[in-house]
Amino acid sequence: MLLLTFHMSKKTDVLQGTLDLMVLKTLDTMGPQHGYGIAQRLLQVSERLLQLNQGTLYPALLRLEQRGWITSKWGTSENNRKARFYSLTRAGRKQLQREADDWQRMAGIISRLLGEPDGQP
Amino acid sequence: MTARELLARIAGAFGAGRRRDADLRRELAFHAAMLETRHREGGRDAESARRAARLELGGSAQIAEAWRDQRGLPGLDTLRQDIRDGLRALRRAPGFTVAALATLAIGIGANTAIFTVVDAVLLRPLPYVEPDRLVTVGDRTAAGFSSNVGFATVADWRQRSRSFESLALMRGWGPTLVVDGEAELVPAARVSWNYFDMLGVRPALGRGFTADDDRSASWQVLLLSDRLWRRRFNADPAVVGRTIVMNDRAFRIVGVMPAAYEPLAEQRYERLSAELWAPLGYDLSGPSSCRSCQHLRGFARLKPNTTAAAAAEEMQVIREQMRREHPADYETGTIAVIPLARALTGQVQAALYVLLGAVAFVLLIACANVASLQLARSVARRRELALRAALGAGRTRIVRLLLTESVLLSAGGAIAGVALAASAIHGLAALAPVSLPRLDHVSVDARVLAFTALVAMATGVVFGLVPALHAGRADPRATLVIDSRGSVGVRSRARSTLVVVDLALALVLLAGAGLMLRTVDALTRVTPGFDARQLLSFQFSLGGKAYATNEQVVAYEQRTLEALAALPGVERVALAGQIPFGGNYDCSALHVKGRMKPNAADDPCIERYGVTPGYLQTMGIPLRGGRDFTGDDRAAAPAVLIVSESTARLIWGHDSPIGSQVRIGNAERGPWITVVGVAGDVNHADLTEPPRAAMYNPQAQRPDASVAVLKTATADATAVAAAARRVVRDIDPSVPVYQVASLASLIGESGAQRRFVTRLLAGFAAVAVLLAALGLYGVVSYGVAQRTREVGVRIALGAQRGDVSRLVLRSGVPLVAAGLAAGTAAALVTTRYLGSLLYGVSPVDPATLLSSAVLLAGVALLAHWIPMRRALRIDPVRALQAD
Repeated sequence: MLLLTFHMSKKTDVLQGTLDLMVLKTLDTMGPQHGYGIAQRLLQVSERLLQLNQGTLYPALLRLEQRGWITSKWGTSENNRKARFYSLTRAGRKQLQREADDWQRMAGIISRLLGEPDGQP
Repeated sequence: MTARELLARIAGAFGAGRRRDADLRRELAFHAAMLETRHREGGRDAESARRAARLELGGSAQIAEAWRDQRGLPGLDTLRQDIRDGLRALRRAPGFTVAALATLAIGIGANTAIFTVVDAVLLRPLPYVEPDRLVTVGDRTAAGFSSNVGFATVADWRQRSRSFESLALMRGWGPTLVVDGEAELVPAARVSWNYFDMLGVRPALGRGFTADDDRSASWQVLLLSDRLWRRRFNADPAVVGRTIVMNDRAFRIVGVMPAAYEPLAEQRYERLSAELWAPLGYDLSGPSSCRSCQHLRGFARLKPNTTAAAAAEEMQVIREQMRREHPADYETGTIAVIPLARALTGQVQAALYVLLGAVAFVLLIACANVASLQLARSVARRRELALRAALGAGRTRIVRLLLTESVLLSAGGAIAGVALAASAIHGLAALAPVSLPRLDHVSVDARVLAFTALVAMATGVVFGLVPALHAGRADPRATLVIDSRGSVGVRSRARSTLVVVDLALALVLLAGAGLMLRTVDALTRVTPGFDARQLLSFQFSLGGKAYATNEQVVAYEQRTLEALAALPGVERVALAGQIPFGGNYDCSALHVKGRMKPNAADDPCIERYGVTPGYLQTMGIPLRGGRDFTGDDRAAAPAVLIVSESTARLIWGHDSPIGSQVRIGNAERGPWITVVGVAGDVNHADLTEPPRAAMYNPQAQRPDASVAVLKTATADATAVAAAARRVVRDIDPSVPVYQVASLASLIGESGAQRRFVTRLLAGFAAVAVLLAALGLYGVVSYGVAQRTREVGVRIALGAQRGDVSRLVLRSGVPLVAAGLAAGTAAALVTTRYLGSLLYGVSPVDPATLLSSAVLLAGVALLAHWIPMRRALRIDPVRALQAD
């Protein structure tokens, strides 16, 4: 199980990529969703182990939008409040596919590496 | 970052389609509200739910900042923030800000001012079509330029050479223009018909010259400069086609040159440039076409893809061919093909680059001073910076903040500096020697502003980097906890280094200025071979039918001499064809009967002065042997000549030349002339050069007078100028009088370039010394302030005044010593660049270097004065109570 804590740091390129992947996948699964919904979903999926810093989430949403992978528009939430809803674009869907493949490949490598007897600490 | 993201960020940074911060606030408010709702549903009361929600969401300011970082271009928003912070910090320290701005304004202003001159004179391309292909062609002179050429020679070049697209010729000319009864000698030029085509300039009005215009029988057309057209012809467009008479010759005006046309600088002593042009009007049958007659300037346009060097190589081969074919007409020598830009400015390049180097030094000193001020201030600011670091500002962030601050300062200094420079340029141009070409084009323009901006930017980084890095290195925790004595050591070490640099640079400038002062001083002690005191000279021009015969000229001269001699305040008068420092050159070969050189062209060219009797006496040139001319040396009398000492030495060696028979110019023709006297040597044009060989012949036997010299009774020779002008005008109003000047001022002009450099260098050196002293003062007084307590203790323990003084001196004297040592080493390396400007003093003159060092040391010790008095006044009781 992954335990991720996000910092406002530029050094977490890998983690940033991971966050992008998680956001894209969330939107893919749930359809258009606001920032709160995405955060809740990640909390839920990670069984509350993934405490997402909102200072990371909102810039990430903006970044994904700037790259053209998601779009956003204002709408009305389930409890009748104005909220900004994010949804996946076609380019975003392709990007999700690519990133998911990369992740699988990397995860395979890592787990093979960790599985080797010599890899044990 | 993808291209698309970059575009989005640029749009975000500059407002287009930029999502407002308010949008994000609403989005976060929604997020918070949702969290709050969830907590309330979990059973909390309203207040604690809100608190829990806020805690979970995190600081909305941080989110907003991270989000803004993502929205705009990285750095742009922080830059905006840094500028705001920087301006605020500078406002909080007005004393520092004013001192830094003033220092920078001086440094940057001086650089801007000198750069405007360098740019206008040296860097700006000549205003002709493809100026890089324009060259001058001629034999290489001693100074490395191209000499005059002859018409017949160039006619051969045109046939044989392959390097040039066109070859054009020019000679200076001074016709007398009479419009509405007012005579004026107009600076002018006669040019080959293809001259303007070669430059790529067309008349603004009318037509240019054609090959038909340029024949000896028919040259009778004129082009006017825009200025002359406006000045004398009221800008009348109907002037084209009008006929005017100059020197009894009728000319038809065929065109007016554009206002923007810049004539090629011609006259050495005149700022005036040509105002009208006529065709050269030579052909190969004319008397001016002899192969040894060389009085034309040769210009050429290189073919595309040809270099000046390749053209010179080809021309050298042609030159050798021609010397083989006409051995008597061409001297040995090499051809010089010089890019036009260099030919026009070569003489002043060294001086201008020296000045540019010197102002760069001044700027460096200014930078060191401001850096030192910054360091001193950063001690006081340590707490502020430490607080910023503690609040999460990284080291790069703090360095950037401080750099922004220093660039802000240098930008302010640049603005003030440009204002300073703009007001200084007029003074600079007035101070500049007339030999600086294109000086009327000096102005603060976009190029200059770009240069200044660049300098300011570099300046800001140079003086900001040291303090910024120091501040970035400081450990925030240590600074916040430890009291104010924390890392003072590091800072004062850096400041000390800066002071040493200051002193070293100041010493270099002082030494340079000292060497130039010695040069100017040496030049004032050079005796030019004549007595320039109380001498007034003016030039006049005889032309036209009224002076077509020698008799007419001689008669005019006689009347003029008598009228001038009768003027009150005039002791002696003489006329001459040229005078020393008058800006004319007229040299001819001299052949001794029975000792003809196999190749006459290799004879030295000897300056010839046609003079009236009494010239030598009027000028105060001593007669070393033989006799002076008398009134009996008339046209009909036997031809006589006086030679100068160096001519005698050059041609007769140890023998006496008196009684020798000689011929001037052509060895084959002309009368035999008897040498009757030997005169002392005179400097003809340059005090720094050895006198040229010279000879004198009586005007009556070879009339060509154009200069009058008057020995006046008063020290101010120009006092009689107006009266002399009137006399000449009364004799014949059609004879123009010009260049009325005392000989002392003419000699002065020949040294003007050196004096210009000297004055500026001295000014820069003074500023440098002042800045260095201020820097040293800052460091020493800071040291005293830091050690108030220690000094107090020492005084309490019985230290004497001398002990305290020594304590203060100990903080500064090693710096002075290091600065002087470093400066001496640097001066030994750099002053050699002054070489070509120096006279009578070596670039590494020990006396100059030593006195500069002593002077600087004296000023440096003075900088200890105030801090020392303050130290002596320290009250031990108070010093110990403080803190």
